[in-house]
Amino acid sequence: MVLEATLICIDNSEWMRNGDYAPSRFQAQTEAANLICGAKTQLNPENTVGVMTMAGKGVRVLVTPTSDLGKILACMHGLEIGGELNLAAGIQVAQLALKHRQNKKQQQRIIVFVGSPIKHEKKVLEMIGRKLKKNSVALDIVNFGEDDEGNTEKLEALLAAVNNNDSSHLVHVPPGPNALSDVLLSTPIFTGDGEGGSGFAAAAAAAAASGASGYEFGVDPNLDPELALALRVSMEEERARQEAAAKRAAEEAAKKEKQGEQQSSSQDVTMTDQDSVPASEADDKKKTTKHDEGLLQEAIAMSSTPSYPSGRDTNMSEVAEDDPELALALQLSMQDGTKDAPSHSDMSQLLADQAFVSSILASLPGVDPEDPSVKDVLTSMQNQSEVSSSDLVG
Amino acid sequence: MSAESTTAINRSIVDLLDFIDWSGVECLNHNTAHSLPNAIKQGYREDEGLYLESDADEQLLIYLPFTQVVKLHSIVVKGPEEEGCLIGPKTVKLFSNREHMGFSNVNDFPPSDTAVLTPDNLKGKPVVLKFVKFQNVRSLTIFIEDNQSGSEVTKVDKIALFGTTVETTDMKGLKKIEDNH
Repeated sequence: MVLEATLICIDNSEWMRNGDYAPSRFQAQTEAANLICGAKTQLNPENTVGVMTMAGKGVRVLVTPTSDLGKILACMHGLEIGGELNLAAGIQVAQLALKHRQNKKQQQRIIVFVGSPIKHEKKVLEMIGRKLKKNSVALDIVNFGEDDEGNTEKLEALLAAVNNNDSSHLVHVPPGPNALSDVLLSTPIFTGDGEGGSGFAAAAAAAAASGASGYEFGVDPNLDPELALALRVSMEEERARQEAAAKRAAEEAAKKEKQGEQQSSSQDVTMTDQDSVPASEADDKKKTTKHDEGLLQEAIAMSSTPSYPSGRDTNMSEVAEDDPELALALQLSMQDGTKDAPSHSDMSQLLADQAFVSSILASLPGVDPEDPSVKDVLTSMQNQSEVSSSDLVG
Repeated sequence: MSAESTTAINRSIVDLLDFIDWSGVECLNHNTAHSLPNAIKQGYREDEGLYLESDADEQLLIYLPFTQVVKLHSIVVKGPEEEGCLIGPKTVKLFSNREHMGFSNVNDFPPSDTAVLTPDNLKGKPVVLKFVKFQNVRSLTIFIEDNQSGSEVTKVDKIALFGTTVETTDMKGLKKIEDNH
């Protein structure tokens, strides 16, 4: 939780009219700046953020570093595009503004957005970088828009001059379908050198998320890692539970042949913990209840064995520290991932997956079971489960 | 080094290391691998291998607040003694009671004292300061302007401050008096 005073330098030159970043470079930039303000103030309530422009009528400080988010967001509204980027003057004014911050205990940081050609020489930028380093000011550079080598080279030289112990960063954002702010969310600029920014990033991503794009479970792990993890974990859980249930089903089937259909169906109707084969009913509501209880049981059972998250889930470990339930789920999923899946029929696994997913979707807030697409999926899964249950029982 | 000064009546000159308020100590333009405690802290500063080194250029700005008001008598600044590698500090400016100075405003006001160090000083000979200027020191800013050979990097082995304390109350030592009736 570093105490920091940040100054965001916006590039509002003519090049910002370009639409290669939707909706326009300038708007993408403003959005990213807003996100940064939110992230910084959330990291530490005493952090202050200021905003200034580097082009337009001239280098101007719009808001001196303050922790009042409203002021910052308001000042971004009336900004005009025009003129040329003056990077050197911009950074120097930013340094001066930070020098006069009210709380001298704050670390100084400048975040610069560069989206147009830099007219200064590399030497000038290096000198500025050294001055910043001497006064222990960290610098984050967001390079977007211009693909020419000249800009990249100059910015890399600037970063090399400023960088002290990896506290400064340079991020290149190529034009593409992803929004500028989304790409920035995963960079060290937001994650604060690997500290606690990822929680905010996850939340912001969920808020800003548009559609999913063909990911597992229909949820982008980058946009909403907690949701994706919960889905994946509970799927593993349900799979394990269904396998156990299928085993019991096989036993029950043997018993059923002796006792007859009636008793087993009456058993199926009741919703108890030790209830055996629900397969013949394929009732999603029942599955939901059982899934929760099953999840809990397995979680308790598995929670004693710790395991290490794989590379892909490194983000999760940070979030999981905050949320004990999530931590349990994480351990669980890893445990299941390393275990060999018992060799039951593929059908039952498929059943487990889809039925499970549907039950999860139903139990999750924000997912409307009445949604036609969800309903379609549910009915298709019911059909499949009935088919598979007849296989199991028969 | 004189243990008694003519003005001190009942106090002798001591090493002011114990009165440095470590929570407020700052150092600008130092190489993070070779930082300020190497030059000041007891034990670190005697070690030849541990030194304070500058980073982007040869200047260093050190800010030392004290836990109580002190009178500063002299300082010792030791630099590396290798022949042909005289990169210990040369011009040292001292400012008393100026908070949060930066490199841009070191030249804005006159220093309380300036010391030009000779190679003798770098071996450990103390520099006696203008005592009258340092009668009421709450914080000390040490600005190392250049070094002996004009190289890019300045190295400092040890900085020691000597003086006396003024009778001020250390707030941390204040204890509640139990009122037992």
